[in-house]
Amino acid sequence: MDSATHMLRTGRRGALFQLQMALRDLQNSFARIGLAWSLATHDVGSRYRGSVLGPFWITLSMGLMVLGIGFLYASLFNLALDQFLPYVALGIVFFGVMTGIINEGCDTFVHAASMLSQTSLPMFTFVWRVVFRNLINLAHHLVIVVGMLAFYGQWKVANVPLALLGIFLMLLNASWASLLAGIASARFRDIPQIVISVMQFAIFMTPVFWLPDRFGKHQVFLDFNPFYHLLQSVRAPLLGQTVSGHSYVVLVTMAVVGWLVTFLVFARTRRRIVHYL
Amino acid sequence: MTKASITVSDLTIRFPVYGADAKSLKKALARAVSVGGALGRHAGVTDVTALANVNLQLKAGDRLGLIGHNGSGKTTLLRALSGAYEPDEGTIDVHGRIAALLDLSLGIDSTATGYENIRLRGRIAGLSTREIDERMDEIAEFTGLGPFLSMPVKTYSAGMQGRLAFAAATALEADVLLMDEWIAVGDAEFQKLAHKRLLKLVERAGILVLATHEAPLLKLYCNKVMKLEGGVASEVMDIRRLDELLAG
Repeated sequence: MDSATHMLRTGRRGALFQLQMALRDLQNSFARIGLAWSLATHDVGSRYRGSVLGPFWITLSMGLMVLGIGFLYASLFNLALDQFLPYVALGIVFFGVMTGIINEGCDTFVHAASMLSQTSLPMFTFVWRVVFRNLINLAHHLVIVVGMLAFYGQWKVANVPLALLGIFLMLLNASWASLLAGIASARFRDIPQIVISVMQFAIFMTPVFWLPDRFGKHQVFLDFNPFYHLLQSVRAPLLGQTVSGHSYVVLVTMAVVGWLVTFLVFARTRRRIVHYL
Repeated sequence: MTKASITVSDLTIRFPVYGADAKSLKKALARAVSVGGALGRHAGVTDVTALANVNLQLKAGDRLGLIGHNGSGKTTLLRALSGAYEPDEGTIDVHGRIAALLDLSLGIDSTATGYENIRLRGRIAGLSTREIDERMDEIAEFTGLGPFLSMPVKTYSAGMQGRLAFAAATALEADVLLMDEWIAVGDAEFQKLAHKRLLKLVERAGILVLATHEAPLLKLYCNKVMKLEGGVASEVMDIRRLDELLAG
């Protein structure tokens, strides 16, 4: 089912043609961006249907986790609560957005199998669906982030623009990883387990629950952790710290190279994805 | 409204069918290492030619019945007409809004209510939220499901799901309706309603492509018929020659 009144499909081959079709898919997904939003709101709504708090369960469970981990690690490492709680809240919330987009990316096409096999809907619509779904979750978590910062008197509106830039860079990078995971998972069914393990490993290797300066002379290794730069670009501005220019270079390079590679893979596999399912 | 038409020329569709082994990265890697072959090729992947050089021309008002054994390519042709499968060779040119009823579960979330599912389907079909609201009463009435529409779809019987899907899909003023087999869902009363809807579609100069094994249905709805055999299509014939085709 589609709103278009004309559909022309040819068996033309060639890399250039496939690239063109991939671009058209992207364009069409933007033209119908409202559909991705509808699917995302439906997803979130249906997950919490019938519960008293509705989607605010997301907020509640995240709040409890932040408090639990915050108090535990603060006492384990002997840290000041007013420093550590906002730090760990921001870390868990924003790392969660990345993990969500990338892990759920694995199901992008697998879950849409019945829609993809009888419509000409753009593939990218389902990528944006995953991104939007996680943005809606983030919106519920913002209460915790803002509340925690305000409680400790660290909330400054002036910090917001730079943090928004960080969120944008994070989404830009997470979305290509999500699409790549989606294509790979459609083709190979053991990819999701690998992705989930990698993301689980990453959350412990990245300064989410611990402070980077505790790392001592090993801090240089953080430079090789892409998740560190991703997280830092959002967390540091909100805590009133500066983000190093080096981080931005890494993030922009990663976005450009990542999207180039992913888009080429997409162009090459686009017409096959429906057969993988 | 655009005049509905379908033009298919020299359509060939091949696709790889992946066996369980081919879907495992671990096994594909192990094979590549031990045999030294390319990743993901050969073992477990079979290339199937689902349609070979199919030609088809339909104009407004045509109702084509597709017949053929299981695996003869009927569903593949319908999926290709819906835009889901792209040709390997040849072209498909469809004018008009397409509504495909190939799989009851399209956009159907079994934990969501009937109303929510109608909404979801409408959005997929390209309607705005307001357009859906405007049509909701009509669609709800047509399903005949009454209070059940506020219950989760997972509590529905197959017949009720069929009603919901059919009502939602045909309420969209599609010009080209693609249906696979299951038109026989629902009870006698619903069959009558469905019949009226389909006739209305034909009156609006739409096109119907229906795949089914049941001769009475074909005679009821179609004026043309085409037989598929192993991905090869016969000519499009008048429905009066159906018995000839079935015998052959």
